[in-house]
Formats: sequence, C-alpha cells, structure tokens
Amino acid sequence: MKEIKLKVNHKDYHVAIEEDMRLLDLLRNRLNLTGTKEGCGEGECGACTVIMDGITVNSCMVMAFQAENREIFTIEGLEKGGRLDPIQQAFLDEGAVQCGFCTPGMVLSAKALLDKNPKPTREEIREGISGNLCRCTGYNKIVDAIEKASEYRKEE
Amino acid sequence: MKLHVVGQNNMRVDAAAKVTGKALYPEDVSLEGMFIGKTLRSHKPHACITIDTSRAEAMEGVVKVLTYKDVPHNHYGVLMKDHEVFCSEKVRRIGDPIAFVVAVDEEVASKALAKIKVEYRELKAVFDPEVAMHQDAPKLHGESNIVYHYKLRQGDIEKGLEESAVVVENTYVTPMVDHVFLQPEAGVAHMEKDTIVVTTATQYPHFDQLEIAEALEVEKEKVKVINAAVGGAFGGREDITLQIHLALATKLTGKPVKAVYSREESFIAHAKRHAMVMTYKTGADEEGKLKAMEARIIGDTGAYASWAINIMRKAGVHATGPYEIPNVKVDSYAVYTNNPFGGAMRGFGATQPPIAHEQQMDMLAEALNIDPISIRLTNAFKIGSKTATGQILKDSVPLRQCIEAVAEKLGFSVVSRGV
Ligand code: FES
Ligand code: FES
Repeated sequence: MKEIKLKVNHKDYHVAIEEDMRLLDLLRNRLNLTGTKEGCGEGECGACTVIMDGITVNSCMVMAFQAENREIFTIEGLEKGGRLDPIQQAFLDEGAVQCGFCTPGMVLSAKALLDKNPKPTREEIREGISGNLCRCTGYNKIVDAIEKASEYRKEE
Repeated sequence: MKLHVVGQNNMRVDAAAKVTGKALYPEDVSLEGMFIGKTLRSHKPHACITIDTSRAEAMEGVVKVLTYKDVPHNHYGVLMKDHEVFCSEKVRRIGDPIAFVVAVDEEVASKALAKIKVEYRELKAVFDPEVAMHQDAPKLHGESNIVYHYKLRQGDIEKGLEESAVVVENTYVTPMVDHVFLQPEAGVAHMEKDTIVVTTATQYPHFDQLEIAEALEVEKEKVKVINAAVGGAFGGREDITLQIHLALATKLTGKPVKAVYSREESFIAHAKRHAMVMTYKTGADEEGKLKAMEARIIGDTGAYASWAINIMRKAGVHATGPYEIPNVKVDSYAVYTNNPFGGAMRGFGATQPPIAHEQQMDMLAEALNIDPISIRLTNAFKIGSKTATGQILKDSVPLRQCIEAVAEKLGFSVVSRGV
C-alpha cells in the first residue's frame, strides 16, 4: 500500500494504492470513473486512453504510482456545466458513435490532438487517432467528427 | 408521406451516454458484496479428463468451485445441444470450460485456478476438416463428424461442363477469423428474491434466458437477462459464454457474482468465422456466358456446431455468386474438428464464397480474353433472373448499375461483348 496525490478532472484526490495497480484500475475501481475502458490490457487498442499532463497515455500501461502529482483527464471531465464538449457534440452530430466502447478513448485522443493542432488535416487526424482501434465505424465518421469538432471549437 | 425514421438521420438513443462515458457496459456494473468468478479452461484440444478441485476449495477466500457436478442439465447450444456448461468427461478444444472459481476477489480466484488439478488423457485429435470427414477420423461427438450436408442440384452439371468452351477448376481456402469486438465478455449475476438476474452484453437475451433456465432447471420466468451496453458483437455474442456460469454461481452462493474476460480469454472463449475449403469448377462458352458451376464447400465448425447448419446452408445457397448459371451442383458441409468452434460472424456464410466465385470469374475472363467487367455484366442477375435455388428475382436487382458505376469511376471502358 502507498498513498498518492493526484488531480483527476480538476479534482484533487488522495488515495491509497497497491504497488502493482495500474492507472486504469485506480480510475475504474477506486475512483469509480468507469468511462475509461479496457479492451486489451496491453497497450494495443487505446480504449483506456486518458490525458496525463497534456499527453495521451494508455492507462493500462501506466502504473498508478506513476500518476503521483500528475493531472489526469478522463472522459467524465469533458462536459462543462452540463454542456457537452464540442468534440463530444461533433461525435454525436456526425454519427461517429456505434457500440461506443472506443469512444471515450477516441474523444480524448481527439482532444489532445486539437489542443496542440487546432486545424489538423484529415491525414493528421488519422495520425492522431492511430493508437485507438474502432471495430464498428470504419473510422471515416470519426475523422469527419474530429474535423467538425475543429470547426466547432473555432466558433466558440 | 414524410417518414420519421426511414430516410432520416436520427440520433442513436444511447449516443449521448456513450460519448460522456456514462453508458454502463457489464464490466462497469458493481454490486455490494459481490464475488469474482474465473473460468478454468482446457489447454488440450482432445482429451479425457478427471478433475480434482479440493485444494482450490480449501483455500481461504474461495467460496465455491463449480464443475459439471453442479449443473442440473449440463447441455446447451443454439441449434444442437452439443456444448457442456462444464466438461464432464472429455474436452474437445483448447478453451473448453472445465470449472468456475467463485472467490472473494480476483487475486484469490486466479490463485485458486492454479490449484485445480486436471488430469488429461490425451486422445487423437483432428484439425483438418477434410480429414475429419473420413469414417476412421477421431470423432468429436457421436458417430460422424459431418454435422450437416447441403445439396443443391440444378440442370445437368455434366452436360453444362461438356458444352463449355473453357472450364477452370481451383481450390480456395479461407481462414477462421475472430470478431474482436472491442469490449471483452463480462457480466454480473445476482438474485432478486428467487429470480436470477444476469446482466451482460449479448445479441440474444431472450435465448440466453431460455438456455440459462434449461441448464439450471428452473422456470424461464425465474431468469431475467438484462442487456447492458454492448461493446460490439458482429455475431460473436450469439453463443453463450459466461451467462450460465454466472447464473449458477449466484444461485448457489446467493450473492452477486461478476466475471470479466481478458482479451486473451475472449479470443479463446467465443466462436470464430468458419474456415472454409472451397473447390470450384466453372465453365463458360466462347462469349463468356456461364454454362455450369460445381462447388464443394467444407466449413470447419471446430468442436461445436453453433450456427454451422444455417451458415453452411447460406454458403451453399450463395455459392454461385450473383450470376445466372443454368447447370449447378453444390455440396456444402459443416464438419466437426478439434479447432476453435465456428459460429456467426458478419455475412453468416455468405462472405467466404465470393473469394472463390469471383476469382473463378477473373480466370474465365482471362482464358477467354474478355475483360473482367464484361464477363460479369454478361452473367449478372437482373430482374426476372432465376437463381440456382429456383427463386425468381422480382424487384430491386441493381447489380448491373452498381458494376457500371464502378467501371465508370475506375475509368474502365467496357469492351462490350454480347452485353
Ligand atoms: S486497454 Fe489499454 S490499450 Fe487496450
Ligand atoms: S464504436 Fe464500437 S469500437 Fe468504435
């Protein structure tokens, strides 16, 4: 057992963790943030993607203790005052959500991309989500959604 | 009349929940005081087994170890009841479930799995469906490994082949394929008074209910299956995986029980697209008009039948492709082997034959020196065409328009011959 401090979705946490605990388990089992998904547990699928200090990580490949004093964003942290983030809205509007299991990870990869590059090309979008597998959509609608999200963010 | 759904873009009812992370997939459901369940699976493809669970059961934190002895009716399956809930005497594939440990947490459950002793007396196994069809091959269930034979006869195949200017003959092999739905199998079961409630992700909740009730020998009304958010399926969630295990575990312990498969276990647990061996003989006249087609399609259904009968029938019905052929002979088979079992996957038997019939078309075109678009237009189904199974196509056969549109987009100029 070890105590760590971290910030998740703007909130400070002080939690007891086991040494062999993954960040994914900390989020899902301790903090009850089940929006972060586990599709493979070995860094292949990106369903567990979260943003740690501005960059995306596979939370199944990061140990919980490595999150000490870090700032984490999960899918639950995106809505502001009950309003969807423009990326979430764009995923809805473009029909980019099917089974939805890849969606939280996709949205967060899109966010990390757009935060750095507000107007990416379709090629750059594909690159930006290259660590996220989707078995349902065939990706086109997801790329459309991220393009649209880039417009929505400009309008805001 | 303006329709509200057809032709309109409508928002999925669950899209907002999914985009915010609020949608609950079965692994997101946790209940007060729940136990964790883990499955012990065979690591031999064909063997007689004896099981000793005593050391696992004696472990602190282990609540119960379920085996075939705990299952009132140890048989299930969508068409043929050839699966056992837990193997009793024999395992037929790598991954067959043998026992289910119910423990206070995941760590204890994993350790307990390692303490279960399974003695395997290995049997001769068969992995090639063509070999499995022979009478002297090792048998999976009963007297023969041939689960199903679909026969289609139309016209006179010998005459049709004789009258052909060219005949091409080839064998095509397609592999098994996994669905890899992104959310591995998971579920939680609990008791609501005397009703067993199983929350899982399934394509078939009403049938799961029936299979759970039959296996547990309880009334159907005493089983409730709740479909949580389903993280993809593509046919891979048509067969039962953990549903009966969880239902039995909660019934016997009285407590909620949860199980979540890893990706690796998911691969091992559920069905695959049928691997097929397709031998085709196709003949056409000088103009490229198809005269005859003979096909023998063998589907490897692995250790269990699942939907093999419907799938191999569909493969046989679709064997000609979308072409008018006056003389047709098709034999399609579903065959047991000790491979992972074959089941439903997108296309359901119609996906594999195009690999064969379309390659045959290209080779006929080449032999006849006709371009590949023209030979297809010459033979393509149109309104009024009769399929090899005798169906007259009455409306909506836009195949020609489709081929022509593709040809045009490709900048392909059709050298029209008899079109
Ligand atoms: S669950 Fe982490 S990458 Fe797949
Ligand atoms: S929507 Fe199902 S995996 Fe992407």
